Amino acid sequence: MLNFLKKDPILAIEDYDFTAFKQVLNTPAENIISDIKTADLKGRGGAGFPAGVKWELARKEKSAEKYVVCNADEGEPGTFKDRYLLENSPWQVLEGILISAYVIGAEKGYIYIRGEYVKPIKIFNKIIEKAEKKGLLGENILGSEFDFELELIRGAGAYICGDETSLLNSIEGQRPRSRIKPPYPIQSGLYGKPTLVNNVETLAAAVEIINQGVETYTALGTAESNGTKLISLSGEVNEPGVYEIEFGSLTIREIVEQLGKGIRNNGQLKFVVPGGVSTSILPQEKLDIPYSYEDIKAAGSNTGSGAMIVVSEENDLIDLMLNVAEFFMSETCGTCFPCREGIRQVCYLLENAKERGYLTQRDFELITDLSQTTYLAARCGLGQSSLNFVTSVLEHYRDELLQGGGQ
Amino acid sequence: MARANLLERLHTIQDTYGYIPENEINKLSDQFDLPRSKVYGTIKFYSMFYTEPTGKYMVRVCDSLSCHLNDSEGLVTAVKNYLGIADGETTEDKKFTLEVVECLGHCGEGPVMMVNDQIYTYLNENRAIQILKDCM
Repeated sequence: MLNFLKKDPILAIEDYDFTAFKQVLNTPAENIISDIKTADLKGRGGAGFPAGVKWELARKEKSAEKYVVCNADEGEPGTFKDRYLLENSPWQVLEGILISAYVIGAEKGYIYIRGEYVKPIKIFNKIIEKAEKKGLLGENILGSEFDFELELIRGAGAYICGDETSLLNSIEGQRPRSRIKPPYPIQSGLYGKPTLVNNVETLAAAVEIINQGVETYTALGTAESNGTKLISLSGEVNEPGVYEIEFGSLTIREIVEQLGKGIRNNGQLKFVVPGGVSTSILPQEKLDIPYSYEDIKAAGSNTGSGAMIVVSEENDLIDLMLNVAEFFMSETCGTCFPCREGIRQVCYLLENAKERGYLTQRDFELITDLSQTTYLAARCGLGQSSLNFVTSVLEHYRDELLQGGGQ
Repeated sequence: MARANLLERLHTIQDTYGYIPENEINKLSDQFDLPRSKVYGTIKFYSMFYTEPTGKYMVRVCDSLSCHLNDSEGLVTAVKNYLGIADGETTEDKKFTLEVVECLGHCGEGPVMMVNDQIYTYLNENRAIQILKDCM
């Protein structure tokens, strides 16, 4: 069942019955974890780590204090599905947070919303206030022995905070640089305590799994991609927006044509970025693959956050590469050298190439080298994936980029 | 736990004054028992905190990929020309500060611009300028 996109926001707590959470309160936590594992729910923020495994590890950690954090620092260009959920299904997001906290045994949690999301921040502040009044947050929630307190943290404009270790530093009031892993947040996260960080959509999907039942949910999708996914469709399509699709039910081309209603101004499709600007592009000829983790991976890219950016023939490729490289140059935390300097040098090379109108053979070699080094040596996911877009455009449109010269 | 709440405190100060003045940095440094450089370093990491006064209207135009594909560059040029300032500058009458920013999370409605807390979507040059005129 495609259930996420309820159009009218339910803001009256009386109208939302927390069915999944009530069920969880009456079920051994191990069974819930086992369901989430069976459903093979993969983290929907971008990294795709199995949520059930994360929950299990967090539950097993022995500590008097544990934390859950809902990562709503959605900043990947092209991604806006978490904003959709926060604005339209905030109770379901809260329910997901409550479930994750109950299951791992956390009494304190945070929802970290990016500072630019003024409306979702307002909505969620109200949600917390109402939930506290109604006994859904606080002590002995719904008459159970479960105590849980939730605090909203406003971000202040830093893409890197979407990385879970940077996010934790930000909550702690530190300069939000990434941390070296291990230790993973599950072992030593916020204030050195076991911390479970989940994306907004992951938590909302966990609620769906419990509500629909694990059999119904796993019946949806493909062999390795169960259930549904929210796609943020943007770029040069006629009807951009958030769409929920069952994994495997449409090919990427069909998503562009059926959901996006094709390229605007009858333009020609050139390539699609399948998962946000940190993922590799898929050229036009590779788009007849089902939308699933495994098929997109086999095609050489990544599902990422589900941010699908559609690009037509009417663009200067060097300009687009520079745009994406500049994004990462401005958002790197600057701590590790490969990411900070690698991206900066790629930007210089692309700036010159843009002025010149084409790339030289030497540019190719340097950008490829810098990208590989950054990929291998950067310490967090942001750095490692920062040049995927640039490298994949280079790889697929080599001749076009060298056109007009080269040597 | 020493630095917990620092982020929220910075927000409160910024909400009150529109920026984070030096004497507030000094106070935070005392209260959190942190060198001023550490407080300053935390502030400077975030693009939405300012240590100098900004214009009454903070104009943020997104130029990340999805908006870029919808001609945010044209929008940026129009706004720059209209206000007569470059990226990061404030008009002489202290009314507007312009920032060309990264993704605002409205990628399906581009190009977009934020004026203070208000987001404006599906913009064209004329509408953007009208919005700025309405601020006058």
